Amino acid sequence: MSEAIADFAVFGSTPLAGLVAGLLAQRHQAKVIAVGEGPTRYRLPRMLDLSVAAITRPETWAVLTATVPETARFIGRLAGRQAIRRVDPIFFADSAAAKESLGHFAHMARGFGQSLEAVPNTRLGAGRNGYRLIDAMIIDRAAFEPSLEAWLAGQAVRYKASQAIEMTPEGSAQVHIDGAVIEARQVVLIDDAAIIEYLPPALWPALLLRQARSTILTVSNRRMAGPLMLDVETGTMLLQHEEDSLVATGPGRLAQLSARLTRLVSNSGQLQQAGQVGFEGLMTLDGAPLLGQTMNKGPIFLTGLGSLGAFLAPMLARWIAGEASSEELEWCQTRRPDRQGRHQAIAEYAGREEHAA
Amino acid sequence: MKQQINRLPADTGKGLAGRLIDRSRPIRFTLNGRSVHGFAGDTVLSALIASGVDTLGIHDDHAIGLRPGAAPPIAYTGSTGDALQALPMERTPARDGADYAIFAHDAAPRLFNRLFQPGRSLGLSLDGHAKSLARPWRSVAGHLEAPTDLVVIGGGVAGMAAALAGAKAGLAVTLLEASAQLGGYSGLFGTQDGESTPEDNVAALATELAATDRIRVETLTEAFAIGEGLVRAHRLETAAARVEASVIDLPTRFIVIANGAFERLPTISGNRLPGIAGAQEAFELAHRYGIWPGQSWLLATSSNPAYRLATLTAESGIRLDRILDSRDRASSRYIEFCKAYGIRQFPGTMPISVAGQKSGGRLAVLLPHVDAVTVDRLVLCGGWQPDLTLWHIAGGRSRWNGEKQRLEPSGGLTGIVLAGSAAGYLTRRGCVTSGIDAVDRLLGRRGRGVDDPVIDAFYETPDAIMAGSVPDEPAAPAYLDADSALLMRPSEMRKSWRDMLGGKRSGSISVLAEAPQSLSIGAICSGVGLGLIPAESAGVIAQERVALVPLATAEQQSAEEAPLPEIPIYLENRFGPDAALVTLAHDSSRQVGSGALIYANEDLTDPRQAIGVVLRSAEGKTKALIAAGSIAAKRPVIVRDLGQAFQAAIVA
Repeated sequence: MSEAIADFAVFGSTPLAGLVAGLLAQRHQAKVIAVGEGPTRYRLPRMLDLSVAAITRPETWAVLTATVPETARFIGRLAGRQAIRRVDPIFFADSAAAKESLGHFAHMARGFGQSLEAVPNTRLGAGRNGYRLIDAMIIDRAAFEPSLEAWLAGQAVRYKASQAIEMTPEGSAQVHIDGAVIEARQVVLIDDAAIIEYLPPALWPALLLRQARSTILTVSNRRMAGPLMLDVETGTMLLQHEEDSLVATGPGRLAQLSARLTRLVSNSGQLQQAGQVGFEGLMTLDGAPLLGQTMNKGPIFLTGLGSLGAFLAPMLARWIAGEASSEELEWCQTRRPDRQGRHQAIAEYAGREEHAA
Repeated sequence: MKQQINRLPADTGKGLAGRLIDRSRPIRFTLNGRSVHGFAGDTVLSALIASGVDTLGIHDDHAIGLRPGAAPPIAYTGSTGDALQALPMERTPARDGADYAIFAHDAAPRLFNRLFQPGRSLGLSLDGHAKSLARPWRSVAGHLEAPTDLVVIGGGVAGMAAALAGAKAGLAVTLLEASAQLGGYSGLFGTQDGESTPEDNVAALATELAATDRIRVETLTEAFAIGEGLVRAHRLETAAARVEASVIDLPTRFIVIANGAFERLPTISGNRLPGIAGAQEAFELAHRYGIWPGQSWLLATSSNPAYRLATLTAESGIRLDRILDSRDRASSRYIEFCKAYGIRQFPGTMPISVAGQKSGGRLAVLLPHVDAVTVDRLVLCGGWQPDLTLWHIAGGRSRWNGEKQRLEPSGGLTGIVLAGSAAGYLTRRGCVTSGIDAVDRLLGRRGRGVDDPVIDAFYETPDAIMAGSVPDEPAAPAYLDADSALLMRPSEMRKSWRDMLGGKRSGSISVLAEAPQSLSIGAICSGVGLGLIPAESAGVIAQERVALVPLATAEQQSAEEAPLPEIPIYLENRFGPDAALVTLAHDSSRQVGSGALIYANEDLTDPRQAIGVVLRSAEGKTKALIAAGSIAAKRPVIVRDLGQAFQAAIVA
């Protein structure tokens, strides 16, 4: 028997999921339950939360440019300055196709006011092109999550793991939590793991593929060319911590990522593996996000946002709540899950597709 | 015997005279030029400890004790450059006349070595990544051995029972045991009503094993990685005059992991100082090698079997000052025995901290409400934890059991099962029957199950985690485990002169999950006990942070690149459906980069107003994608590249 009614049941444990759930409750006066496994800060990251990505579409840059300052201010107020750090990521490429896309990214970033500088081969390695983007932002989950959890509690957003869920074809659901049943009018699936678990096969978009992904933590006593490096071709992200550790996360099984890591940072000294996890993620065939419902039914889901997701959270919450601006609405609508084929004007460089599981 | 100051007399009773050593065959070897005496049957490590060497070196300005879990690999002098020549000193049989050297000797400054009694210390500097303690063979690929049906890892009673059950089922079995002998570590735990002694039990199983030709027993062989159908192990071969090492890969259909449980290190300040040992470690040193350093000791425990050590040493002449138990109301038959011996016991009490004394090498144990107690040796026992390291390496899951205060396996793996105390069984009978049951499960047979007659908690209080608070001014750091990672309790981060000079220390971190090193199960248990890791996250952290050795061959990246598409997917429809490829004519001295945006006039800068984009330059030609309307206009365009704008013409 239902004990409570919520407008949204938001599934996911990432900062994006938490922010969307909390913003729906706080700014859009929705009743929300957040369903997830709990804090991710104790686990190896499945994705980093970065304010830029190797995107090439001007409309995406426009949406991002408009939303990032709002997100940064909000996170700063919520969790303090330590939760969001300035970083100068280096985007780099090895293959001819990736170098071309890197060039398009660099020109587009400059066009939207970002400062970039070319990184010399002496720092990156022979045959590699790279740009350092000045003054990006990254969310420090260890500093952010405790404040996020407290904020969610303050918005009366119950944040719990679900024991069971019964979803209707329309996208509403009964969510069983701690012996209670909560009636949610609309399910929102945000993390890839939640989409894989709960998106009905009949509503699975043709553009969406499962993908083996991995994260490896290594110890290295030498420094990379920058604290954060992003391989445009594979989407692999390399984050160096101050304590001589290096986190690599990207597509492929552990052995594949391990081999790629060795290739990507071969000039960074011997790497000693200190942690690892293989997991299943999602990729879109055209490299662009998938946002919304399939055929206007079932759960709303958000995927393909890569590292940008959390920084688009206020805009995504507005859109889910039906309060997006016309530009935001258009951007989201053109990225709906049931778009056809690869010939929409939204595709991004998707790298090599053989990483699909 | 004069040189072996920590060796118990040959007539020491209760099985503590050293069953593995032959006192009639003294030996002598050198380690880094230091002369060490021992007996045939000693390992290099046991001979060192018997000779009074109990200090590994210096970490974070404090001395660290030499223990089996944190001992540097050695090699024969002149062979220290080859990872396959490295030998683990705790497993390597000491040979008379051998000339050994520490494999990766990173010497501490002489001043420190002088301060910390050079006669007791190996003199290593352990700051940074403590390369002296690294196991170099872990990065060596294995030599492929002949396939077998079942590999049993661990030669304790569970592993022996599993090997016998496998052989009876018609399987070809390889039994791997890290030490020189089968039997495991059940000696400290004594017997329950109706059981034979551990020694009799082991002897019976060993006799049965010897009579079975389907079982190949590989002692001195330590498994350190498991993949699908493959076990990688480090093997010592002792047939020749020199001990030789190799790394082997054993293909197999089934794997039983029966590598036991380990003793947790209580997290109190000073818990890694020389002179501190675990209860099982202290028992095995005495039982196997007749070693007991010092004449006085103190036991601090949160587990019952440690009390048995007190009763075993009660008649040896070694003075036990007192027993502290962090549990308020622990009950056990061992506790009652200790009362009968008149040993002082302090329930609900644990040491605040331990400090090494500058002279005499004794330990000052700071206790609540009373003066510090000075003893030669402190035995710290934080209870037992199933060793799930290989289980996690194989991909197995685990979860925290709050009632039993330990990490336990969960779920299953294809072709791999746990047995014995590694699976969480507590009694010897439980371990033996779980070994048999493991084989039944692997073969899909319905067996008799596991009979683990655990005594009710009312009579035998379960183990607890002993985690102390941080004293105001700790004399020495608290470490999270007794292993070689040297991971310190995070709250004890502080600046030292070395940090100020830009040096790095291993082990000091602010958030445990961000530690730049793998996390042992012991460290994770300590993290849970200290509230640094939520209990519900302990299992996943243990799985993610195990020191994995990748067994699969890395896939080679294809050397061939796919040809470049004429129009990349990310440009499709960007300038309308009728956009076309053109060639731009411009100043030939300019190299235009891919992605340079093209505008209709010089006033425009917003990328959304661009009418085209440069695709690539080749053979002096600049190819661009331009909106159809702009091509038709046949007007010059403006190209913006690297902050510069210049004019170009559409020529084709």
